[in-house]
Amino acid sequence: MNTDKPVYIIPGLLIGNAQRWPDKVAMRKKDRGIWQEYTWGDVYKKVKYLSLGFMALGLGKGERVTFVGDNEPELEWGIFAVQSAGGLTAGAYPDSIPSELKYIAEHSDSKFAIANDQEQCDKFIQLKNELPGLKKVIYWDPKGLAHYDDPLLMSYDELIEMGEQFEKEHPTAFEDSVASIEPEDFCALYYTSGTSGLPKGAMMSHRNLIKFGEGTVYKCGVRPDYNLLSVASSAFIGSTFVATIPCLLTGATLNYPEEVETLVRDTREVGPQLIANVPRNWEAMVAMTEMRVMDAGFLKRLFYRLFLPVGFKRADFSYAKQRPNLLWRLLIWLAEVTLFRQLKDRHGLLNARVATTGSAAMSPDTFRFWRSLGISLRQIYAGTEAGYISGHDTDDIKDDTVGTLVPGVEARVSHAGELLVRSESMFRGYYKDPEKTQASIKDGWFHTGDAAHIADDGHVVYLDRVTDLAHMASGESYAPGYIEGRLRYSPYLKDAIVLGDNRHFVASIITIKYDNVGRWAEKNHVSYTTYADLSQKEDVAGLIRKDVDRVNKNLPASTRIKKYVLLHKEFDPDEAELTRTQKLRRSFIEQRYKSIVDAIYGGKEEIAVEASVTYQDGRKGVTRTVVRVRSCE
Amino acid sequence: MQDDAKLKIENIYMRFGGLVALDNVSLQVKRGEILAIIGPNGAGKTVLLNCISGFYRPQEGNIYFEGERINSKAAHQRGKMGLARTFQNIELYSGLTTVENLMAARQAYMKSNFLANALYFGPTHKEEIEHRRIVEDIIDFLEMESIRDTVVGVLPYGLRKRVELGRALALEPKVLLLDEPMAGMNLEEKEDLCRFIIDIYEGQGNMYPDTPTLRDGVDTIALIEHDMGVVMSLADRIVVLDFGHVIAEGTPSEIKVNPAVIKVYLGEEVF
Repeated sequence: MNTDKPVYIIPGLLIGNAQRWPDKVAMRKKDRGIWQEYTWGDVYKKVKYLSLGFMALGLGKGERVTFVGDNEPELEWGIFAVQSAGGLTAGAYPDSIPSELKYIAEHSDSKFAIANDQEQCDKFIQLKNELPGLKKVIYWDPKGLAHYDDPLLMSYDELIEMGEQFEKEHPTAFEDSVASIEPEDFCALYYTSGTSGLPKGAMMSHRNLIKFGEGTVYKCGVRPDYNLLSVASSAFIGSTFVATIPCLLTGATLNYPEEVETLVRDTREVGPQLIANVPRNWEAMVAMTEMRVMDAGFLKRLFYRLFLPVGFKRADFSYAKQRPNLLWRLLIWLAEVTLFRQLKDRHGLLNARVATTGSAAMSPDTFRFWRSLGISLRQIYAGTEAGYISGHDTDDIKDDTVGTLVPGVEARVSHAGELLVRSESMFRGYYKDPEKTQASIKDGWFHTGDAAHIADDGHVVYLDRVTDLAHMASGESYAPGYIEGRLRYSPYLKDAIVLGDNRHFVASIITIKYDNVGRWAEKNHVSYTTYADLSQKEDVAGLIRKDVDRVNKNLPASTRIKKYVLLHKEFDPDEAELTRTQKLRRSFIEQRYKSIVDAIYGGKEEIAVEASVTYQDGRKGVTRTVVRVRSCE
Repeated sequence: MQDDAKLKIENIYMRFGGLVALDNVSLQVKRGEILAIIGPNGAGKTVLLNCISGFYRPQEGNIYFEGERINSKAAHQRGKMGLARTFQNIELYSGLTTVENLMAARQAYMKSNFLANALYFGPTHKEEIEHRRIVEDIIDFLEMESIRDTVVGVLPYGLRKRVELGRALALEPKVLLLDEPMAGMNLEEKEDLCRFIIDIYEGQGNMYPDTPTLRDGVDTIALIEHDMGVVMSLADRIVVLDFGHVIAEGTPSEIKVNPAVIKVYLGEEVF
C-alpha cells in the first residue's frame, strides 16, 4: 500500500482499519434475534472479494453502480467494493417506485446494480428492457429468489466466488486498483431529494466524503469506543457523513437495526453514544412520549406532570448558563432518577453523549423538551451539495443557531441574504449538468439558497430558504418554516403548511395525526368513520384551534394565523407532496390544493374537494368530501 | 389407490342432526399441487377441513393420508403425521408472544420430558436452542421480526393470520391446510400472503439450510379461499362445493367456464 495518500481515499481507510484493528467489531447487525458481529478484518475481506468480483464482471474505473436497499452491512460492503474498484455508487431510496429507480440507473448510466432482495430485484426485472446498459443486478438477500432464473440476477456469494477466482488470475488486482485511486477521483453520486424538479446527481470525490465525515468526528467528538447507528438510508448523504465515514475514520462500531420497525427497540439495546436524527424523528419521539403518558396509569401520569416542569426549569438554567441552587439541584436529581432516566432509556438515549439534529428546522419547543431531559441537541448544518457547514461544539450549544463553522469552511452572506460557502467537503458538481453546476458554484463559492446570517460570536443563524422567506401583500415578511415547525410540536398535528405570500393575512393548511386524534376522539366520545370524516369534526377543529392559538401567541399580531383548514388527507410522498426525506413541498401543495387556498382567501366557509389519490401500488382513486375553513377570530 | 394422492377423501358423509353438511364428498389432494376449495357460504368447506384435520369425525367414508387410513386418529396425532392447518377465525394462544406461539408448536418435536424441561439443563437447553433456531428462521421468512416479542392478542388481524401460518410451518407439515388465509385483508396484505404461499410451496433452498420446511418447501397445499383473483392465480386445481356436494373439479380455466359453477356464483343464466 502506498503510504503517502491513504487517508483521503475510502478503501485506504478501510485497509488501514483492517490492519490496525483486525479483531475489533466494525459492524453489528441483528439477525434471527441475535446481534451478528463483523470485525474490520471480516469487512475488509468481504469488500476485497466483492470488489474483485466487480472487476471480473468488467466494472471499469469511473463507471457507475446503482444501489437500492435497506441499510445493512452487506450494502456498505457493496458500496466500498465499488469504490475500491474505482467505480462510483449512485443510491436510490428503498421505497423508490420503479420509475424513480429507472431515472437514477438511467441518468447515472449504471452498468451494474446492487439490490437488497426480491422486492428490489423485481423492480429491476420489470425495468430490464428499458435499461439496456444494465448488465447485472447483484443481490445480497436471496430470500424468495431461489427460483428466479433471470440471467440479470446474481447473488453476493456468486460475486465473491468470481472475485476469488479473479484473484488467482490477477493476484494483485485489488491492491493495484486501490493504489491507482486518487483522493480527487469521484466515488459517489448522491441524488438530491429534489425539493424542486428532477433529482440531480451531486458528484463526490473520496476526499470530499472523507472531509465531510471529518466534520462529524470533529464536531461530535466520535471516539473508537463509540457505537453509532445506521438509520437514514445510504442513498442519503446524511448516513454517509454521520455514520459510515466517521466509523471508517475512528474505528467506531456501526450498528444496524434488524428491521425499520424494530428501530426503537434495537436502539435501546445498542445504546449509541452518538445519535443523529432528523427533526421529524425528534418531534415524533416527543409526541410518542406524550401519547404514552396519556395512556399510562395514574402514578406515571402524576410523575410526568410533577417532574416535567422541573425539567423545563433545568432547561432554563442551561439556557441561562446558570448553576441551579441546591434545592433545584436536588429536585432535578429526583426528576432524573424517577422520570428522565426511564424516558431516555425508552428512546435508547441513556448512553448518548452527543445527539444531533439537522436537515430541516426544528421547533424550539422540541429542543426545550429534550434539554429538560438533560439532552442538548446540537444542530448539524450540512447539505449534499454544500458539505458540512457548521455545528455546535460541546460547550457552546444554542438552540436558535446552527452552530459555528467547521474548520476549513469559509462562509459569507451575499447581498440578497444568501449564504455562500467554500470548503473541501463541498460537492464537485452535478453529474451531466454543467449548467446547473455553474449556476450553483460561482468562483468556487457554493450558493446554498439558504437565508442566514453569521452572528458576531461566529454562530450561523439559519432563517429559511431564500426563496421561502415570504412577504405578505403589505410587504411584511414572515418565516413560514418557523411557524410550521411550531405547529408540528402538537401531538395531534402531523403537518402544517403556512400560506400568506402576497396575501393580506397568514393562513395554514393542517393535517391531523390520525392515531392520536383518533384516540382522543374515542376518549371524548366523538364518533368518526374515516380520516376525512375525523378531520372535519367540529370537536377536532376545536382541539387543533388550541394549538393554533398557542403558536399565534408568540407571533406578532400582523403575521398570526387567521384562518386554517384541516385537510381531508395526509400529505403523502407517493403523491409527491413530500419528498422521500419527508420534507414538505410547499409550492407544489399550494398548487395542488388551489381550490382550498382560494376558498380561504375568498372568504368561503367550506369547499367541496375531489382529490385524486395515488396508492402505493400505483393505482389511482378519487375521494370526495367537504372541507371547512376555520377562522381564528 | 393412486401413488400421487397425498390426501384422499372417499365418500364422506357428515351430518349435524338433520343437517347434511357433507354429502358423499370425495376428493384428492395430490403431491405437488396447490388445491383450492371454493364454494358459497355454508357449502361445507370448513367442515371438510375439520374432517381432514380431525376436529370432526365423519359418520361415513374414509380419509387417507399418505395411504394410511386416519379416520380414528386424533387431531394432534394427525398434526404429528404432517397435517398442519390454519383457522378461519384464528386460534392462537392470545396471551403468549409470537415466539412463544411458534415454540408451542415445536413441542410436538421436543423429546425431553417436562421434568427435564423444568430443570432446563444440558440436553434440554440444547434442544430449546435448536428449536428456537427453526422458529427464528420462520420469523425471518414471514418477516415477523418486529412482532417477535409482542403478545399475539394485541396484534392486528392480518398479522395474527401470519403468526398462525408461522405456527403451521413450525409443525413441519407435509400437507398444509389453509382456511381462508386472506379473509379480511387489504390488497397489500393479500399480495404479501400470496408471495409467502408461493415461497412456501417452492421452498427456499440454501436460504434456510437448517429448517426443512422452508428449505424444501411444502409441496402439497390445500386452501379454502373466497378471493377469486387469489384462487385463480395460486391454484393448480379447484374443487367447488355447494350444499355439501362436489359440483365441479378442474383447473382454474376449466372452472371459470363451468356452467354449474357460474350458476352457483351468479345465479341463473343472465347473458
